[in-house]
Amino acid sequence: MSWSCVIVEDLQVAADYLAKCCEKSGQVEVKAHFTNVAEALEYLNKHSVDILFLDVEMPGASGFELLDQLAYFPKVFLTTSKSEYAYDAFEYNVTDFLKKPFTFQRFQEALNKLTQSGGDNNISSTAADHIFIKSDGKLVRLNNDDILFIESMGDYVKFVTPDKKYITHNTIKNLEEKVNRQFFIKVHRSYIINITKIDDIRENDLYIKGHEIPVSKAHKQDVLKRLNIL
Amino acid sequence: MEPNSFSKKFIFNEKIDSDYLYGLYADDYVYIEEVFATTLQHFDADFERLKAAWEEGNLHDLKKAAHKLKPTFGFAGLTAVQEQLKQFEDLCQNSTSTAQLKSDYTRIVTTLAESKDLIASEYQKLKVFNANPL
Repeated sequence: MSWSCVIVEDLQVAADYLAKCCEKSGQVEVKAHFTNVAEALEYLNKHSVDILFLDVEMPGASGFELLDQLAYFPKVFLTTSKSEYAYDAFEYNVTDFLKKPFTFQRFQEALNKLTQSGGDNNISSTAADHIFIKSDGKLVRLNNDDILFIESMGDYVKFVTPDKKYITHNTIKNLEEKVNRQFFIKVHRSYIINITKIDDIRENDLYIKGHEIPVSKAHKQDVLKRLNIL
Repeated sequence: MEPNSFSKKFIFNEKIDSDYLYGLYADDYVYIEEVFATTLQHFDADFERLKAAWEEGNLHDLKKAAHKLKPTFGFAGLTAVQEQLKQFEDLCQNSTSTAQLKSDYTRIVTTLAESKDLIASEYQKLKVFNANPL
């Protein structure tokens, strides 16, 4: 098996079919199936998986809300019967959009996108000790250890270091995949922070070199888990 | 497997889009039986949700219930019913109250009830077929 996955789907027949496709492919191992976002989120924030097959419309929170609250960003395949979500799918940087019901051939094509898009390269990109960002018309090298946090500014993000700020065209969602997860963690939909730089944490905020950064309820537990609390 | 590379031994009811079904499951009749069984197992709860939303005049829930039922019929090869549900879902989206949808609702409820009977009958036929392979 190449990849592990979780299926989040409230329609049993669709979930069964998806599991069958995974098994038939010989490439994907189904770790769990959930029929709602809350349970899926609880699992996913404890267990890292490579792929998330995600229905959009489910009872309670939607698939997109799950993505908003996830502490990391696996490869996402949206499964829905509505093509109107295609735009949102693009916005959330999902790997593919499977309109239910889909054939096994279509499923296989979707999986092929993982290898084509360098799904396996994710590890090497996140294992790097630095990143390059495009800022002021040049490529600037930033060592992970120099970055305090990254803040969303609409279509741009701001990389904050102890002595400088770099603004570049990107999104927090996209960066979640690119940055080294050993150092960085998403604490809010608009913030990724360097976990090694936290000075202190209070109720719903954390502080890094005098910068106050909000921590969303959804991400707080993950942040606390990553700290060396005695 | 390509739909044409196997023999289509089971004759589905003409209302079922058998080519579509073979496109999804090839000639895995045992699995098709499972799909029908699962569909029947969950149909009543989903159907009740649709009816409850109608009784409450809750357009949002009515749309959600139709949305959930929609692919169910695709998986069972009832593509016309899937399309009818899509149209009903669109009507819910574009309406301001359930009162505007009375005739469409009546039609969809009748179709769904008939479709359940059809799936149940095909399921029984498949069970016999799978129990007695040629």
